[in-house]
Order: sequence, then structure tokens, then C-alpha cells
Amino acid sequence: MRKIPVLVAGGLVAAIALTGCSSATPASSGPVKLSMWTGFTGGDRPAYEALISDFNASHKNIQVTMDVQPWDTIAQKLPAAWATGQGPDLATPNFDPNVISKYLETNSLLPLEATGNGATDINVDKLAPSAIKAFTAKGKLYAVPANIATLQLYYSKKAFAAAGIADAPKTVTEFQDDAKKLTAGGNYGLALADHETIQMWPVLQWLDGADIVDTKGCAVIDSAKSVSSLTTWANLVTKDKVAPVGKTGAEADSLFSAGKAAMEINGPWAAAGFKSAGVDFGVAAIPAGVNGTVTLASTVPLAIGKSTKHPKEAQEFLAWYTGKSAQTKFALASGFPPVRTDLGADAQLSGNAIVSSFAAALPTARLYLPGVTGATQVDSEIYVPFIGQITRGEDVAKAAAEAAKKIDAITGCRS
Amino acid sequence: MTSTEVTPAARASRSRGRGDGFRLLGIRLQPAWFFIAPSVLIILVFIVYPITQSLWYSLFNWQIGATNQEWVGVGNYVKLFHDELFWNALRVTATFAVVSVASQLVVGYLLATALAKDTWINRVTRSIFFFPTIVALTTIGLVWRFLLDPDIGLVGGILHTIGAEPIDFLQNTSLALPSVIFVSVWKNLGFTMVLLLAGLKAVPAYLYEAARIDGANARQLTWHVTIPTIRPTILFTTLILTINSLQVFDLVYVMTGGGPLFSTDTLVTQLFREGFQNFHIGYASAIAWVLFALIMIIAAFQLRLFRYNDVD
Repeated sequence: MRKIPVLVAGGLVAAIALTGCSSATPASSGPVKLSMWTGFTGGDRPAYEALISDFNASHKNIQVTMDVQPWDTIAQKLPAAWATGQGPDLATPNFDPNVISKYLETNSLLPLEATGNGATDINVDKLAPSAIKAFTAKGKLYAVPANIATLQLYYSKKAFAAAGIADAPKTVTEFQDDAKKLTAGGNYGLALADHETIQMWPVLQWLDGADIVDTKGCAVIDSAKSVSSLTTWANLVTKDKVAPVGKTGAEADSLFSAGKAAMEINGPWAAAGFKSAGVDFGVAAIPAGVNGTVTLASTVPLAIGKSTKHPKEAQEFLAWYTGKSAQTKFALASGFPPVRTDLGADAQLSGNAIVSSFAAALPTARLYLPGVTGATQVDSEIYVPFIGQITRGEDVAKAAAEAAKKIDAITGCRS
Repeated sequence: MTSTEVTPAARASRSRGRGDGFRLLGIRLQPAWFFIAPSVLIILVFIVYPITQSLWYSLFNWQIGATNQEWVGVGNYVKLFHDELFWNALRVTATFAVVSVASQLVVGYLLATALAKDTWINRVTRSIFFFPTIVALTTIGLVWRFLLDPDIGLVGGILHTIGAEPIDFLQNTSLALPSVIFVSVWKNLGFTMVLLLAGLKAVPAYLYEAARIDGANARQLTWHVTIPTIRPTILFTTLILTINSLQVFDLVYVMTGGGPLFSTDTLVTQLFREGFQNFHIGYASAIAWVLFALIMIIAAFQLRLFRYNDVD
């Protein structure tokens, strides 16, 4: 009799435990379902969602579901999910193109082989070369650009008129002079973010022919040219107060939207927010530097997980996504340049002031720390704090020498 | 003198003890074991296993999904010892914990004392102080980040209106940590106040009466009656606040991201950066274990300090 409660208890526990087990869902004969994680939570989200809707409407045999999550969430979940053969079929792992190397270390990415010149192929030769280079390892392509953007100079027409400046600056000297003139009455000439954003400071260095690392991954941030360039810009911030210190990208955008800053270096994604804030703005090319025009390009990789059960369909989706029709529509909806290089003559795109301005900068645009070992760490632990130091009055040469040592330690440079 | 006699009640009790459960493979199974099994299983799978697994990770240069992991032994801990960012994060975490816990205890106690009487105005005031506790930490962080913005925030606007220079609370390396600590104290003050209030309410009135008869003044009543009586409540509150403070992440991440110049970088924000941005899983696990050890030591010290095991 005493054994009955024990058996009942055991049975209950077993029943509860087994309740969680259900029989497998039988395979359906419907369309192939592809899941995709992206971090497009900003103002450009509707443009991506419209693309997915168009694809699903035109491909009854393949249906893509886009799950939009914050980038941080993807960074926490995706590495483990893909490395263990789970997770989505497709994903944008990060907004930093350098992240691809991290996923290659864990053998998590499917090499893209459905390439070629056909309408249903991924037309690699027609896609932005800088992005393709960043996503290629040992001769194999592992992602296509989900987008590509350049940074241009937004300027407030109202602030320029008030300061008696007729046009956007064309040279670095004009740029610096205008920033000083526009700094008055508690307003800044330039909203210059230094963290939680796509980097703006490298553009300022490039304009003077300086850089952060060389092609071997060795730091050149402490070179005479770099120190001179950074000293000039740091003085403009610390002494002339042309820009606030320690702003995030979102905070810099708010300053420009609120009319508290007259210029901002930013990408096409910012245009919609500025419009809705009622700012009368223009978009101009970054002023020419010592080596001509240069700006920063950013691109988000769109990759396929190695363990996907539908590699053929996933690549078919990528071919469509990077195709002419989809990219034309996406560019017009988002303001981003198309990821293709053969749409320059498209009348719709060239007639759009925002798209054409950002697209025009693509040929001279450079990626930030491309192919540099530990690029993410170099950015978060060295470059961002370094800019923070020099904009708070620390000696540029000394801070640059320390930063160079730390960069070389991460990249493994032994020159 | 000893006795071997067994009382009837004890005999009955032993009888029940022998009768419960049945033997399987020589082990006596009790019904209670089955009822606690789901909870134990959950704790083992979701707490014990990850904790021990992270210790294992910390001994490797661990790459998620790699077939061969590079064994580094205590290498990650040695590296940690020489990492200036780790020592900075440890200093920031300790400062955050000490200042925020002490502030919450002192201000929380003063508030609880001031609002102890059950009047309607006190009830409303208590609710006002408690309100931030129920709001999500990230929401609080975002709101305060906006409020403290020197250019477009409310505080900066007020300062500007009265002719003062706006203060860059979160962009200044000297002010960022105090600002985050202030927001943390503001957020958690209501929780501390409620706990201490419950303790104060439980102090028997006759103790105060007896002390007053003996001639005790207000200060003596506080030091010799109130605080000794609510010592278990103070211990519990201090422990909870300390553990939470040492693990602070959300508020810092939202308000400053650990900046500027790592001036608010705590152990957990460093752990997050190493694990989920730099993908140094082994190194991040080592940080987690140092934090775990730190919390264990401090908790043990606090328990000892407050003599939790005494019976007075």
C-alpha cells in the first residue's frame, strides 16, 4: 500500500515531463520556407520588408520570413546557432562586414556557388567590388551585400543662409572654415559622433592622406601625417568647439534634427529622419582632400548558414535580392545606393537626388578596417577610446603612439 | 544519565519513516524526491550545467562550434591579471557597488523611517518612490540618457534657462559613473525602502516602550533597538543589493555603453564585449568566474559580518 503514493508521484512526474514531447510534424509538400534574421530595425526597415513581400509574391515555391531583431540580439544568438547547425537559413550577422571572418573560423557559412551572369545567378561581377572583396575568403564568396552605403555631408540650408555661406564646402579648408563660422549661439558647426555609429573620424584622416592601419595590418595612426591631421581636427573640437564631445550616432542625428548642428557626416538612412523632423537640408559630397574625394563605405553582409536544408533556394533568393529589379526598387524606397554597379544609367535612380548623391561616392569610398585581424576589437577598445581621448584634450602624438602599440598587439603586426 | 527508552510518539514517527518510499537498486525512494525532481532538473540543466560548463570554457581559447578547442589552462586568468581594462572594470564595479549599496541603505532607511506611519500622504509618497522600481531598467536608462543630454535634454535646458552652462553628465569621464550610480539609486530606492519598512513594522512596540522607560533618547532607540532588531532585514537587503550591483549591466549598457573612455565599464559590460563582440568566449568565461568568486566571497563576508547564523 505504501508503494502506491511513490508510484503515483513517479507517474505524475513522468507524465509532466513527457507532455513536452510531441511527435514530429510530418513534412509538408508546400513551398520551401526560408527564415532570415536581420538587424534592420531602423527607418529603412519598410524597404527591406517590401523586398521580401515582392519576392514571396513572385516565388510561390519559396517563401522567406524575415525576423527583425536588434543587432545585439543577433550577435548573442547567431554564432552559437549557426555553429551548432541550427538557426535561420539566412542572416545578416552584423552591420560590421569584418564579422564574416569570425563566422568562417567556426565554419558556419555556406560558400555561394550559384554565381554567374544569368538572371537567376548571383552576378558577382556586377556587385560592389569592395563588399565582394570583404566577403571573399580563399577564393570563395560567403555573403552578398544586403546593402551598401556611403557617408556624405548633410548640411542645414537654414544655418548656411544665416551664416552667409552660399554653398556646401568643396575643400577640407573650406570645410573647417565653415564649421567655425557656423559655430555660434550655442549651435555647433558640425555634429561629429565618435561611438555607437559608423565611424566618421577615419574620413577626416583620409582627407589628409592619413590612415589607421596599413595594408599589412600595421598601425600608422601614429605617423606624422596622421598626428598632424588628428591634431587639427581635435583642436577644432576642443578649442574652437565646432563639434560636441562624446556623442553617439543617434545623439549627433538629434542635434542636426533639432537645428543645433549645421553639418553632419552621415549615411542615406538618416535622410528620412531629417525629413520628418522638418529640416531643410542638402546632401553634398564630402569635401575633397589631398588625394581627391574619399569617403567611408559601409556594407552589411547577407549570408547563408552552412547547415541550411535549402542551399539552392537560399542562393536563388540572394540572386533575386541582388538583381536589377529588386535593387532599383530598394534604392528608391530606402535612399541607399543599389548594391549593383550597373544601374548608374537608370533614369529613376539618377533622378533621385539622395540616391544619386550617395551612389556617386561609391567609386572612391573605402571600408573601415577591411580585412584587419580583430577589427571589431581595434574599433571598440582602441580607436573609439582614442578619439575620445584626443577630443578631451589629451596630447595627440602620445595617445596615437599608445594606440598604435595596442593595435599592433591585436593585429599581430611585427614590423 | 542516558536512557534507551523510546517514547510512543517517537516510535510512531520512526514507523512512518520506515514505511515511506520503497527500495530500488538498494536506494530508498521517497515520494518527495519525485515532486522536487522537476525543479532539481531545471536547476541542474539551466544553472548548474552552464556554470560548470563556463568554468570548462575558461580553460580554453574557446571558439563556438570549433571541433578542436585550444587548451590554455589558466592562461585566460593570467591574461586577465595583466589586462588593464579588467582592473579598470573591477575598480568601476567595486565603486558602483559600494556607493550605490551604501546610498540605497542609508537613504532607504531614512525614507522608511520618515514614511513609516500609515497616513494617506505617506502611502502616496511611498508609491511615488516605489514607482521607478516597476519600470524596466532599459526604459529608465534611455529616459535619463535623454534628460541628461547637455544639448537637447531637459536638465541642460533648465540650466541654460537660468544662465548656467549645461553639464555633460554622461560625456564627462569624471561625471559619467556618478550619474549612472545616481540613476541606479533612484531606480532601486523604492525597493530598499519597502524592505526596510517591512522590517521596521515588525519591531515590537514593547521594546521601544521598555527602552523609553529606561530613559533612551531617539538616537539610542535607533542604535540599540531598531537597527539590532531589523538586522536580518538589513542583511537580506544588503546581500541582494550587493549582488545586483556587482552584476550591473543593463543600465550602464543603455546609458553609456561602458564609456566614455571606459569610465563606466563594469565587469559584465567587459564580459559582454569580450564574449559577444570580440567572440573571446574563453576569456569572457574567465571574467564570469572571477565575478562569481567575487560575489561568493563578499556574500560570505557579509553573512559573517552580520552573524546570520546566530540565534539572538
